[in-house]
Amino acid sequence: MELRLTELRDGESGIINSIKVSRGGGQGKRRRVRRGWGFRKRLEDMGLTPGTRVRVVKSAPFHGPLEVYVRGSRLAIGRGMAERIFVEVKR
Amino acid sequence: MTKNKFTIALAGNANVGKSVIFNQLTGLHQHIGNWPGKTIEKAEGTLHFKGYTIDIIDLPGIYSLSTFSIEELISREYIAVERPDLVINIVDASVLERNLFFSLQLLELETPMIIVLNQMDMAKKKGINFDHEKLQKLLGIPVIPTVAISGIGIYDLLEKSVEVIEGREKIKPAKAKYGKEVEERVEKIARMVEKTQFRYPARWVAIKLLEGDEEVEKEILKINPKIVSAAEKLAREIEEIHGHSCSTVITSERYEVASKIAQEVQEIMPQIKPPMRERIHALTTHRIFGYPIMAISLLSIFYFIFTFGDHASGLLGDLFYGLEPIFKIVLGTGIVGELIWGGVIEGIIAGVTIALPYILPFYLILYFFEDSGYLSRIAFLMDNLMHKIGLHGKAFIPIMLSFGCNVPGCLGCRIMETKRERLLAAFVVTLIPCAATTVIILGLVGAFVGIQWALALYIINLLIILLLGRLAFKALPGEPTALIMEMHDYRVPHLQTVLKQTWFRLMEFVKIAFPLIIVGSLVIKLVEVINLLEPIANVLSLVTVTWLGLPVITGITLIFGVLRKELTLIMLATLLETTNFAEVMTPVQMIVFTLVAMLYIPCIATIAALVKEVGWKKALFITVFEVVFAILVGGIAFRLLMLVY
Repeated sequence: MELRLTELRDGESGIINSIKVSRGGGQGKRRRVRRGWGFRKRLEDMGLTPGTRVRVVKSAPFHGPLEVYVRGSRLAIGRGMAERIFVEVKR
Repeated sequence: MTKNKFTIALAGNANVGKSVIFNQLTGLHQHIGNWPGKTIEKAEGTLHFKGYTIDIIDLPGIYSLSTFSIEELISREYIAVERPDLVINIVDASVLERNLFFSLQLLELETPMIIVLNQMDMAKKKGINFDHEKLQKLLGIPVIPTVAISGIGIYDLLEKSVEVIEGREKIKPAKAKYGKEVEERVEKIARMVEKTQFRYPARWVAIKLLEGDEEVEKEILKINPKIVSAAEKLAREIEEIHGHSCSTVITSERYEVASKIAQEVQEIMPQIKPPMRERIHALTTHRIFGYPIMAISLLSIFYFIFTFGDHASGLLGDLFYGLEPIFKIVLGTGIVGELIWGGVIEGIIAGVTIALPYILPFYLILYFFEDSGYLSRIAFLMDNLMHKIGLHGKAFIPIMLSFGCNVPGCLGCRIMETKRERLLAAFVVTLIPCAATTVIILGLVGAFVGIQWALALYIINLLIILLLGRLAFKALPGEPTALIMEMHDYRVPHLQTVLKQTWFRLMEFVKIAFPLIIVGSLVIKLVEVINLLEPIANVLSLVTVTWLGLPVITGITLIFGVLRKELTLIMLATLLETTNFAEVMTPVQMIVFTLVAMLYIPCIATIAALVKEVGWKKALFITVFEVVFAILVGGIAFRLLMLVY
């Protein structure tokens, strides 16, 4: 099933489906697409591309960032960002 | 014609040991400047090898060559436009896949290149074995395995570099092949771009256009807008085929190539028990234990620096002032002698007694922390709190620095990714009560009004920071960026690199702060010598006396505080001819005075650092704002406190 990365339990892993940037989705105005572009590109450049396995190690308390393991390295991802990463999980 | 002068650029991800290699190569023959027109640091060094003079440029540590950050832009401009004779791509052998993703992008810039497979020792500890010859074959360029911190492989690297530059070793860099759908379209656009004589390689431009890179689009639009619209159309086709945005498709495919190469050249043995560094990581980022560990380490550092600094600063001061009679004899007691001693030399003393005892140990510990990897763990723990003022976890590092001194705090704002965040962080940093401010709070209010009032002032200051930070965050245009950061494995810091970094930072501080402290103290001395202090204090009395309810004399001390904040307290004692402030000021006056001194202006050295980081216009704005704000808050506090007392 598809879940947000933030909904995964500690130690659980999933395969990235997509990164959603604008709430309206699809054909927004060019500017809006642009704003999302940098955001998504940054995550993807760090290796969070669709089809990649990502494991949530833990999250910092008080809704802090997530510690994830992806492509052999450990990343910290702010919660706001992690919420927009959708992953396929077997439960 | 044979040249005997070459330029080599070092490129790679952050924390791959790039600065260690830079140090190994250049020793002390390096200098740190800025990239032209940018507030990004440029480290350059020279070395001599086999009769050649080689310039080494240390490019910023980045993960990609898109336009997300200024660093990425600078790096690709440099490689494509300045065309160094060779790019040395430093790769962390223990995180090969991510690093190769960057290497593939460098290869797309079609530049002569060598790969350094660094931190082989770490990789070995992680149970990774390499076939570096295979990697060499797959990428078509030389691959040199190294352990930079012990100097292993550095000589081989230099030899190989010269061979490549001389053309003795022919290299045939491989190109990352994308999927059929992408590849066909890249070639189509590349053919159009080839005719334009653009300064970047045609294939690279084609890829960037498909990825939707804004900078490249802007430039090509000027040359031939048809190419851009063609690329947009082709990008949409790819989107339709794959169901993801074109830039996503290209990034994924590039990572796939990197992943495939990584799998082919390395063999990973599973580890039996978690190594020490993993256990330390788990503990220092633990949701409960992480915080007390952080608090204890930070507090003990501050405690150490303050006790050490206080002691050393006193000793240095005594030493210098011990020389006063000698200077007085040499310079005479005339106006010139007075100016030189009281202006220039006392300015230097002021600078030295901050730089050596406080700033030096501060930087030393900071770089130990950074190099070991602990700073990124602190950023991880503090991310949430920093979001309250619109920043993310990394901003805690300059803020933490600022509790010691605002100057390194300001300079530390460089670690923020975007201009907007740098400005926001720099603004917050200038409001943090530094060591000198703490001296005033404790020395005046703490000693004469009560420690609970001193504490209250500290808390008020922090609340003001939270409030102003939030307001600035709302007022500044642009999107906030969230935290995304690699937490590399803990490692033992490399002493030489840490020492060199400390040294260069200290020199930077001296260059920024000293001239201003000296000029400032000279100006104030001049004003004092020609008896203008009192008239100025009288003019200021409109604010100090009427609005703030303070003694006239405080106008002068607040002027001195611009040089160094603790001077406000020292001058107060000098001018009032007593250190028992209770005799000459009421508790309300002391609280108001401290409040104003705390907020009113970043000291002159901080202003200089601010100018360096955000430009003089914004620095001026922040300074003026804080003066006005401090006076406003001080006046209101005065009226409120009068009701209580």
